[in-house]
Amino acid sequence: MKVSLAWSSPHPEKTMAVAMRRCYSTKPIEDIEAELEQKGPEYWKYLLGKALQDKSLDVLEHFVVTLAVEGVSQADMGVLTQSFPYLRATHLRLSEWLLTLNARTLVELWKDPRGKPLAEMIVTELSQRGVCPIFSELAFGVKVNAS
Amino acid sequence: MRVKLLYYTDLDAIKRVLAQKGIPFDPEVVMDHVVYMFEIEDCSRVTTHQLVRHRAVSYDQESQRFSAATREGVVTPPSVQSNDVGYKAYDEALKAVYSAYEKMVTAGVPKEDARYILPSAIKTKLVMTLNARSLMHLVWQRTALQAQWEIRELATALHVLAQEATPELWTKIIER
Repeated sequence: MKVSLAWSSPHPEKTMAVAMRRCYSTKPIEDIEAELEQKGPEYWKYLLGKALQDKSLDVLEHFVVTLAVEGVSQADMGVLTQSFPYLRATHLRLSEWLLTLNARTLVELWKDPRGKPLAEMIVTELSQRGVCPIFSELAFGVKVNAS
Repeated sequence: MRVKLLYYTDLDAIKRVLAQKGIPFDPEVVMDHVVYMFEIEDCSRVTTHQLVRHRAVSYDQESQRFSAATREGVVTPPSVQSNDVGYKAYDEALKAVYSAYEKMVTAGVPKEDARYILPSAIKTKLVMTLNARSLMHLVWQRTALQAQWEIRELATALHVLAQEATPELWTKIIER
């Protein structure tokens, strides 16, 4: 199996933190973004850790990635797309796919034996690209060296 | 009401993958892979109740369990605004409701319980992330003449922002 990142939504950890703060704040979005920017990554990490601990995984749905995937059969992908409603797969050719999923689905794939091999490949690709180091460490225990 | 596009998929990134595989760009092929995240502010909870009926969409909305409500933070429909008798009744009812809400909160009733009395007209804020396919269905359904005025206003704003961001996907509305 081969996975390569095509696109990821910007500022993943901050975006998920914005979604979380949206539930508890009456302020306009610009004020929430400014508050999160001022408090910095340690605060985003605190909020994300709390979301994962409380299983409030809805906030993870606002971080989205699109990937090119090779080496997954149509039968296997069919099982995954039927089991994970936010997983979108478009068949390109042979065993190649365009795949879009959010971070909640990635966490759920990781916990499911049917999805774990794909989830591991995606987490590795995101880590190598340095896409979401705080989230990768919190959700999957992946340590990413800052470069 | 205010609607802001927070981010959207870079269509060129998707096109690069298709080009590498020798597959021509087709809006229908990439509809599931282009996503938009919106902030929606100061629409009523009447409208967000209609909005959250749309599926494969991610929502996070301001909670009334924790935030206090005020008489100023409500939407007044134009048909009420322009009707003297109607507006008087609307205004009196809201004053009574908010007076009761404030009395309860002051007396120590938790906001999460006092809010049971609050009106659907109350203004709310939320973030929403969805793909182009879900958004197009929403736009098709909620800009129709049968849709209610406030969600039509919202759906029109979403449509305009998505079309500006990714015009190639919005050359026609595909009915679903």
